[in-house]
Amino acid sequence: MPTTLPRVAFTRGAIACLPLTLACAPWGLLAGSTAIDAQLTPLQSQGLSVFVFAGAAQLVAIGMIKGGASVISILLTTLLLTSQHLLYAMHLRPLVSPLPVRWRFGLGFLLTDEFFALVSPYDQKTFSRWYALGVGLCMYLGWNLFTLLGVILGKSIPGLDQLGLEFSIAATFIALITPVVRNVPTVICVAVSLLSVVLFSHWQWESAIVLAGLAGMAAGYVCKRLGEYFA
Amino acid sequence: MIWMIIAGMTLILFFNRYLFLEPRLPIRLNRRVKEFLGFAVPGMLTAICGPIIFVKDHGLDLGPGNPYLLAGLCAIGLMLWSRNVLLSVALSMGLFYLFRWWL
Repeated sequence: MPTTLPRVAFTRGAIACLPLTLACAPWGLLAGSTAIDAQLTPLQSQGLSVFVFAGAAQLVAIGMIKGGASVISILLTTLLLTSQHLLYAMHLRPLVSPLPVRWRFGLGFLLTDEFFALVSPYDQKTFSRWYALGVGLCMYLGWNLFTLLGVILGKSIPGLDQLGLEFSIAATFIALITPVVRNVPTVICVAVSLLSVVLFSHWQWESAIVLAGLAGMAAGYVCKRLGEYFA
Repeated sequence: MIWMIIAGMTLILFFNRYLFLEPRLPIRLNRRVKEFLGFAVPGMLTAICGPIIFVKDHGLDLGPGNPYLLAGLCAIGLMLWSRNVLLSVALSMGLFYLFRWWL
């Protein structure tokens, strides 16, 4: 695979990411229209998607701006809410850190949940930077197009946030998780992660997601080590 | 003020994303850390799904009448059966609206 043409690998990445990008459409629309609704200018609304490029963080920040939260509390929430990217980067480190700086910056900027899900199955031998770029740019362009659409439609779609559109994200992630769950440690990991996130969000912890994810990962890891020990 | 928030968020996101991609950062991942990180996809993505499915207006909805839960279970079934992401997402979205209208 490292010998394939850049153009071919890029296209393959973009196509692999297309279904995930489409599933983000409702969130993109929401990110655009709720920003307008929170009295941001169209330029600021689009700016969030152009520069920040993080769905959940954008929607939470917009909600907080609307609620009159302070700058510091918004930034702190963003830091906690998006800390799973630290884990993703650590996992992708062997693949991306040997690349030239413009590739590291570019792929780093494009690192999202979906990017990680599609790129992390590769190892140093099979990884293609062009494939990763295709994945990342497809998501970036899609996200910004849908945000733009949301900005344009703005308040003309009343009750958009009541339609349950966020289910598309859950459906996408379920589709990405299901094929990975093939052994006991992964089942434990998923179960612990799910239980903890429900509990932590019930307690309204701001870092519920990353802590629950870590708990699930730790449980899966311990289970795997124990399995090796007793085998 | 808004632009300050956008600039701050941009820096924070880039920091979180880039920190461990920097080769000059003196860490080396041993086999155990790599094994641990191997659980990142199921662990983190599950944690992101959980609140979407179970948390409604700051309360928990664990009952069988929750359309998110029913359609989520269907998505698992569809994925096991078809192994096709786009098909599973599209059909389970359809089922989700069916359940919502029905229940």
